[in-house]
Amino acid sequence: MRESATDPVVDEATEAAAEDGTDEISEADREPNDREASDGEASDGEPSDGEASDEAGSEASESSLRIEQLEHEGDIAADYLEELLDIADVDGDLDMDVDGDRAAVSIVGGDLSALVGRDGEVLDALQELTRLAVYQQTGERSRLMLDVDGFRAAKKAAVVRIAEDAVKVVKESGEPQPLEPMTPFERKVVHDVVAEAGLTSESEGVEPKRHVVILPS
Amino acid sequence: MLAEALEHLVRGIVRSPDDVSVLSKETRRGRLLEVRVHPDDLGKVIGRAGRTATALRTVIGALAGKGGARVDFVDVDRRR
Repeated sequence: MRESATDPVVDEATEAAAEDGTDEISEADREPNDREASDGEASDGEPSDGEASDEAGSEASESSLRIEQLEHEGDIAADYLEELLDIADVDGDLDMDVDGDRAAVSIVGGDLSALVGRDGEVLDALQELTRLAVYQQTGERSRLMLDVDGFRAAKKAAVVRIAEDAVKVVKESGEPQPLEPMTPFERKVVHDVVAEAGLTSESEGVEPKRHVVILPS
Repeated sequence: MLAEALEHLVRGIVRSPDDVSVLSKETRRGRLLEVRVHPDDLGKVIGRAGRTATALRTVIGALAGKGGARVDFVDVDRRR
């Protein structure tokens, strides 16, 4: 392969950004509680603490600034994807949103199965390229989530059900409950469900067999 | 269409978008897309452990449909 001869030329910033693509989720994966807390705050658009301190004002403007940043990420991503759809003559509309501390962009409408691919592999590739396009414009690593045709949303709903069932089992048995291996995104979803139910969980094993174990409180 | 799509995808992620070109060739092994970028951007389009190159190939493969398409990244400096 020709590219192997050129492989040593690796831009450090890109490397970091590319690395970020998977690893940021694993990070989140490791600290589900932290992430959840900050998600909640960001989505409120203001500090969740009702007892306003002196810092409340600056926190509020900080978080609205953050939301502006995320909306800007969404705009860049939408431009990048919209032109791709145009060129490829694929019908689809773009929805932009801010979900917690991430920009969220979804392509909806039309026959989009080609953009999802087997087990979402095309979707993951598109998400990766879109994050790099955002990084190129902003200089900031993006954790933007891309969805096509509700694929991730459906996947998430299925994982939430699995997690809820497992939480029930652990609460009744008081025994740790290992789940099947999952992707970083799916593990994050499980950690969030478990934390909300007042239990703890950790990820064990090595990819591709890394899986969540739900622990009794 | 494929060459144009690939060119767009690559232009969006490099520092020198004007230096990006994609050449489409019909070969005995099917369609081949040759990507040329500024030498400083080569690492960017290949990515760590070829990750970005793989992502580009995956998306182009999906758009190409049944026939598929190969994607080559040409190192302008070393081209013979």
